[in-house]
Amino acid sequence: MTITNEPGADVAVPSELITVIVDGVAIGVPKGTLAIRAAEMLGIEIPRFCDHPLLDPVAACRACLVEIEGVPKPQPACAQVVSDGMQIKTQFSSDVAREAQEGVMEFLLLNHPLDCPVCDKGGECPLQNQAMSVGRPESRFTLDKREFEKPINVSAQILLDRERCVSCARCTRFADQIAGDPMLELLERGAQQQVGTADDEPFDSYFSGNTIQICPVGALTSATYRFRARPFDLVSVPTACEHCASGCSLRTDYRRSTITRRLAWDDPEVNEEWNCDKGRFAFPYMQQGRLEWPLIREDGELRTASWPEAIDVAARGLQAAGKDTAVLVGGRSTVEDAYAYQRFARAVLGTDNIDFRARANSAEEHSFLASRVAGTPVQVEYSDLESAPTVLLVSFEPEDESPIVFLRLRKASRTGTRVYSVGSGTTRGLEKMAGTCIPALPGREADVLASLPADVRDALAEPGAVIMVGERAAASSGTLTAVVELAESTGAALAWVPRRAGERGALDAGALAGVLPGGRPLTDAIARNSIAQAWGLAESDLPRPGLSGVELHDAITEGRISAALVGGVEPADYPLDAVEALGDLDFVVSLENHHSAVTELADVVLPVAVVSEKSGTFVDWEGRPRPFGQVFRDAMMGSDAYVLGMLASALDRAQPSTVTDIRAELGRLGPWTGSRIPFEPARVDSAQADTTGEVRLDSWRLLLDLGVMQEGDPHLAATARPTVARMSPGTAQRFAIGTHVRIEGPGGFVQLPVELDESMIDGVVWTPMNSEGCRVYRDLGVGYGHAVSIAPATEGGSA
Amino acid sequence: MPISDSTREQMREIAARYPSARSALLPMLHLAQSEEDEITTDGINACAEVLDITPAEVTAVATFYTMYKRERVGKHHIGVCTNTLCGLLGGDAVWDSLVEATGAGHNTASPDGEFFLERIECQAACTHAPVMTVDWEFMDDVTPGSAVEVIESLRRGESVQATRGPAIRDFQATERTLAFPDDGLADAPSVDDKMLAGLQIAKERGMTGGNA
Ligand code: SF4
Ligand code: SF4
Ligand code: FES
Ligand code: FES
Repeated sequence: MTITNEPGADVAVPSELITVIVDGVAIGVPKGTLAIRAAEMLGIEIPRFCDHPLLDPVAACRACLVEIEGVPKPQPACAQVVSDGMQIKTQFSSDVAREAQEGVMEFLLLNHPLDCPVCDKGGECPLQNQAMSVGRPESRFTLDKREFEKPINVSAQILLDRERCVSCARCTRFADQIAGDPMLELLERGAQQQVGTADDEPFDSYFSGNTIQICPVGALTSATYRFRARPFDLVSVPTACEHCASGCSLRTDYRRSTITRRLAWDDPEVNEEWNCDKGRFAFPYMQQGRLEWPLIREDGELRTASWPEAIDVAARGLQAAGKDTAVLVGGRSTVEDAYAYQRFARAVLGTDNIDFRARANSAEEHSFLASRVAGTPVQVEYSDLESAPTVLLVSFEPEDESPIVFLRLRKASRTGTRVYSVGSGTTRGLEKMAGTCIPALPGREADVLASLPADVRDALAEPGAVIMVGERAAASSGTLTAVVELAESTGAALAWVPRRAGERGALDAGALAGVLPGGRPLTDAIARNSIAQAWGLAESDLPRPGLSGVELHDAITEGRISAALVGGVEPADYPLDAVEALGDLDFVVSLENHHSAVTELADVVLPVAVVSEKSGTFVDWEGRPRPFGQVFRDAMMGSDAYVLGMLASALDRAQPSTVTDIRAELGRLGPWTGSRIPFEPARVDSAQADTTGEVRLDSWRLLLDLGVMQEGDPHLAATARPTVARMSPGTAQRFAIGTHVRIEGPGGFVQLPVELDESMIDGVVWTPMNSEGCRVYRDLGVGYGHAVSIAPATEGGSA
Repeated sequence: MPISDSTREQMREIAARYPSARSALLPMLHLAQSEEDEITTDGINACAEVLDITPAEVTAVATFYTMYKRERVGKHHIGVCTNTLCGLLGGDAVWDSLVEATGAGHNTASPDGEFFLERIECQAACTHAPVMTVDWEFMDDVTPGSAVEVIESLRRGESVQATRGPAIRDFQATERTLAFPDDGLADAPSVDDKMLAGLQIAKERGMTGGNA
């Protein structure tokens, strides 16, 4: 039984219990319980289609009719709130209920095509199952059934076979109540009733795939999975999503060693029963265009090599560079892999030059993460968002950057949580959370945070208030400092929400210069000793603090670093010309799944497993471990940790390389309770503070964009939002910009269609960061918070 | 023909009349229809924009009520009640005569675009069965002959008086009255003595309903 929290309440307190009798059995249930839930608690299953515990009741399908003593007609159990002493009789004890249910089932089947043999849902279909359990054995209907053209696209990804629909309104309620995208509706109510969209507006939602999963019949299907498999031929494995730090539980289904689909799995504490379309549909990358064999550069060209040869060459090259190696760990790493990287760096190469932040970062962020986040226990969880009176978002767009955080905040906002966002305008996501924008120029968030309106400050001082800061804050100096000050002065809880699934785990595992596993300071004697002991080293064998972030990049470009070990870095996320700089190093080893800008310039490329081929753990933004098992047990590819283990062995240094061994070692280390690295406040740097003249670039990565892990599903790609530049009407007017704008930075320019946004402050232009026609780092040479110039687009000059 | 700026302005005016703007959708759709002679995608989008709801939500409403047409109506909308009472008392024959006289069909306009026929449901005017409506104004107690006469008069451009209501204008004008019912044209009494005769007798004899 789910008991919803009143906003502000700390824990769910069961309200007064009342007694109801279902099929002669009494049970105490909280006031407000629905008859169908009361029956469930007794293990009595009433048939249902429209009922869904996370959607408001509508009683649309009438499948759940039961007899209630004293009520003349059968009532829908899914909408009937029980009262004390209520006697409910289901199909198991009442002929009235049984006949009513049979009648409804017969009625629902009148127009149903019964094409189960060619229907995706066949084998896992509530209609099929319940027609068998509570329906009449034979239909008496001999007339023609309703027919529709089939299927129609409600979006590029989602197809609808209208004749299969039982009008339960689950999909339409999901779109409206959960996702906040009411673009799917019941149209032509009456004999022609059907689900549909407006003429020229598809069902445009990042969460659209959930409708397929909750449709109780096979009316909604995905272009990707349609006709690909029968449920009973699939093997299902519970997994965790690798695409973002929301931490969704997923289920991966495969058939003959090929993944056919992924579903949201039920985790009430995290993703409830939902997920986003990226997590659901972006899996083809795992089985397409993979690197299969190690590659070695010989006479300037990469050639295929055997594993022993490649390991040998890589190990010797890295050994030669030793302490002068940089270890860069991308956002796709599991905890176990990140742990292996940092252990290899520190124990084998003797360097602390390691950074998992393969994106814009800063020394201020390093200090923030080391002091406040690394290895800390869960401080804010999803349920805290639901009960928070106020949530302040800083440099964070949940709908794009952590979709389940968005869904939970939207749910919270519907029961009274106020959402504020410090940003350049009211985004579509913020609107759906009924949120308020606190306007800030990108780069000037710190000033705005220091002078928040009094009512917002007061609201943050209420118990349960939460501040959520996104990873983009690192690109705007002073922001994290201001956030820390705000949290300390108001008492609000503070949560850091990285975008990628691997970041929090990599931080906790110690893949950051100066920070050992569990947030242990590298400079702390106790920490050094315990780590050295665990690794079988002397304390003096551990390196002194190394370089990370901008310092590490500078060292690379200035030739103070001679080699790099790079794991799964997405070049599009790099603000600096870091990737090119790697090309000048003596020796680069790349552990990768696919060819990338890094493998192009690497001396040795070692292919590694994707998530379906290994087990591991992600840590979501809450700090909650999301362990997952291996889907393909006979996978040929080893994990990063496994490959690093081989490299270590080649240098006569053993290190744990299996998930079991690494988890055991982490378990032996335990949590860190000693002193932490103190936070060093930073101020807005002067270049950033100078906002005269040009406009500022606001930019983040849309949920669906050109990310390498989204490759391979054209239907998903077609649902990405169009690439536009947004600005206020005032900004457009000032620069005489019409329908298209030319945005120019130090590295080049893009020309994009303009979308005027009344809610945006003047002096800002927003673009997606890595979408078709606009990859800001590559095309403009700068990122979030930087000055760019804008002008009307020039004729024929589209970039 | 796109929805004009002045129509959008009037839509906003209608929306402002309601405590919850969404309630204005029905009259707004009539206004869109008065401008475009049907509900177009553009009309739907204009309503959605004014009310800040999605076009899908507007479409759901526009496709539910049969008074909103997704194809052009033309000059006059002619409704013939073919429900039980009117049907039995000649409504079906009236329908046949009108189909023949106009060349239109159910929910289809005549080839010349003058008349659009629709079989309509009970209009709560059974006392005057069979009834037909011209641009939603009542023509009571029609016969196949008198119904065709109405059509002929409209064709000749003559003034036709509704039985209970104003002189017939055209479909789009009526739609405008539905959007702005304060033009006085909707004020004519819609019930007459004949319709209330039963009630009168019941009152005189002190008759009440079974359970009252
Ligand atoms: S499409 Fe499926 S979920 Fe939507 S109303 Fe029809 S049966 Fe229900
Ligand atoms: S919200 Fe994040 S974790 Fe969940 S499915 Fe989407 S990408 Fe994966
Ligand atoms: S489940 Fe109760 S009416 Fe649909
Ligand atoms: S049946 Fe025609 S008006 Fe009632």
